[in-house]
Amino acid sequence: MSAPFYIEVLARNGEVRQRQRVDALPIRIGQGYDNDFILDDRHTSAHHAVIEGNETGGLEVIDLGSRNGVVHKGKRQARLTIDGNTVFRLGHTNLRVRTADFSVADEMRDTTLHYWEGLPPALTGLVLMVLLALLSTWVTNTEKTESIRYATGVVGLLSIGLLWSGGWSLVNRLFGGQTRFGRHLFIAASGLVVMEIASILESLAAYAFSLETLTRYGSHVAVAIAAGMVYFHLVTINPVHKRRRFAFVSVLLFFLGSGMILIVNYQSRGRLADELYMSELFSPGLRMSSDKTVDQFIAESKQLKSIVDGERGKMLGDDGEDDGEGDMEE
Amino acid sequence: MRFKSLLALALCCYATMAISAEDKVELPAPSSSAQRLYSHAKADIVQLRSLLKNGRTQSSVGSGFLIGKSNLAVTNYHVMSQIALEPDTYVGEYVDTNGKRGTVKLLAVDVLHDLAVVSIDRKGGGFFNVPDKLPPLAQGQYLYSMGNPLDLGFAISEGAYNGIVNRSFYDQLMFTGPINAGMSGGPSVTVDGRVAGVNVSKRLDGELVSFLVPVRFVRDLLKKVARQKQVPKDFKLVVGQQLLEHQKSMMDRLEHTPLTFKELKPYKVPVWESDQVRCWGRSNSNQNKPYSFDQVNCAMESALFVSNRIQTGHISIQHKLLQSTELGALRFSALAGNTFKNQDRSGNKDRRFTAPQCVEQFVTNDKLPMRAVLCVRAYRKFPGLYDFSLFTASTDSGQMSLQSSISTSGVSYENGLRITRIFLENASRENQP
Repeated sequence: MSAPFYIEVLARNGEVRQRQRVDALPIRIGQGYDNDFILDDRHTSAHHAVIEGNETGGLEVIDLGSRNGVVHKGKRQARLTIDGNTVFRLGHTNLRVRTADFSVADEMRDTTLHYWEGLPPALTGLVLMVLLALLSTWVTNTEKTESIRYATGVVGLLSIGLLWSGGWSLVNRLFGGQTRFGRHLFIAASGLVVMEIASILESLAAYAFSLETLTRYGSHVAVAIAAGMVYFHLVTINPVHKRRRFAFVSVLLFFLGSGMILIVNYQSRGRLADELYMSELFSPGLRMSSDKTVDQFIAESKQLKSIVDGERGKMLGDDGEDDGEGDMEE
Repeated sequence: MRFKSLLALALCCYATMAISAEDKVELPAPSSSAQRLYSHAKADIVQLRSLLKNGRTQSSVGSGFLIGKSNLAVTNYHVMSQIALEPDTYVGEYVDTNGKRGTVKLLAVDVLHDLAVVSIDRKGGGFFNVPDKLPPLAQGQYLYSMGNPLDLGFAISEGAYNGIVNRSFYDQLMFTGPINAGMSGGPSVTVDGRVAGVNVSKRLDGELVSFLVPVRFVRDLLKKVARQKQVPKDFKLVVGQQLLEHQKSMMDRLEHTPLTFKELKPYKVPVWESDQVRCWGRSNSNQNKPYSFDQVNCAMESALFVSNRIQTGHISIQHKLLQSTELGALRFSALAGNTFKNQDRSGNKDRRFTAPQCVEQFVTNDKLPMRAVLCVRAYRKFPGLYDFSLFTASTDSGQMSLQSSISTSGVSYENGLRITRIFLENASRENQP
């Protein structure tokens, strides 16, 4: 134990809110102005506690008969031995006392790319979004070319992207102290690009290898990518926090989103898949697996009968469309 | 299917529609023979209503006529369809020209020709008779149609007989005279009081183009009633049976019609073209589009009325050729995929049909590789009947897409598969690349 001593007021999440140096023991703590460390806390007494050295060379907090006492790990203590990691509470104030010889943690490796903050990622994100909007409008708009369609496509995607990353920046400002808007915009744009690429790859693979399941459940891949985006947003907000916890949150979000899609599909259409059948059509050169014969198709269709007949057995709930027939003259 | 609306099948239009139809068609003044006929027939024509059991409010109305001096009345099946299919919800009632009311009991139905026989609690005066031997009608001969148009009151209207129409699947008589909603099931008689047919429908897109069910089908149904020992307990089964008969004869007739091949260059596509199945073509005239399309549509001109929400026993064939003129391979793929998408929109909340179930494959018939999707749904009320939808898209070119959609409603599973096979086997391309 060596002087000077540092008394630290901690926030609930462990961050230091206020730190004061005291050169010698004992350290008197309380609301009163004759203390060494003054507490701005209405739930503490004028002379609340005192910190003294004990026989073993450690430090001790002694309650001076206050109403709310000294609380450590939820228990009130009249006398509490403390070290540099002990957090105790007086009234509503969490305190920690460290000595000059307290050994701090090793220097962390800096993994933050400091040049990739602010304008560069923001501009890259914007360019990615604009390109994506233009490309998808170009591909899907097969009618007469109208520049207004491209304009609305770009504006639409940009507003969604800006709103999304703006929201994350706000959360970042609240919990991380800075906005990091550029980073969030870049994450959003990259996520959208990855979604687009994934959906193209799914379609191509489904067409090439007759893998209809890929497009039937394509929305779940998009949900997985969105969950991945959330992970990166969270890491951006707090790079020091345990990443495993963020990963857990993202996986949870994925299952929630996927589950919602399955439920909505089942409720509204009576099937789990997104679509009744695959509609993707590409150039014949992309087909890899071989075609079935008409006989094989008919054979497979024959087997469908039992499934269709099975559907007849399923009774409709009360929400079925009514056979209701209005006034008629026939 | 959408062209079916041309034929106001079974005059089944809502009252508002009916009123607008009335605006268009003015009833001609009845001649003196019409006056004579009406005064004789008046006692034997009735209005038939189906009422909601609960509260006895009127749900639909039509007409009917008493046969001879019996208590049997003839009307259209579609007037009685609610009572046949949902006897727990609906009940029948008649009102005669004197305003007398009474209950109606359904005895027999003929869905294919749209006829029904009911019994009521009073006897006829013997004006309308259906003898075994029916003398033929001559084109241009006057016919007088009776009934209760638009629930306004009993009426008689005059028109000319104009032969047998073969556009509908079963023979119908063409009557060039006004028939309005509510007159369905009423009789059409010759000037000497002979029953020629039963009022059934009119074309909404024409003027005074109406149809009658020939009286010989009435005769056949009355004979059946005479033979039948007891009234069927569940008319749904009877209707289902008749629908199965219909699909069988429809299939027989289709299979005896040779396939016609239409050219959508460079493809050749199969269709059935006959008096019942009519085809027409279409192509895009808008030159601003970066792609072109040509289309051949064929559809049966008539469908069977089962209930207000089920019309069945129908086939429609559509072939559409998309060709890229300026689009690259990627954009053409997007266009072709979008056109192929969501062609079956039926869901799982329909009381009439089950949710559709599909088989999808890449298929080749050695002449043309295709993407083929077959979706089937079953009728909930009629076991053994299905709706088949086959969607195909050619996969032989990145610049052309031949997309076909064949919808068959109300067929047995076996016949649905037969039609599917016919269309899969017969699409071809002339010059292999």
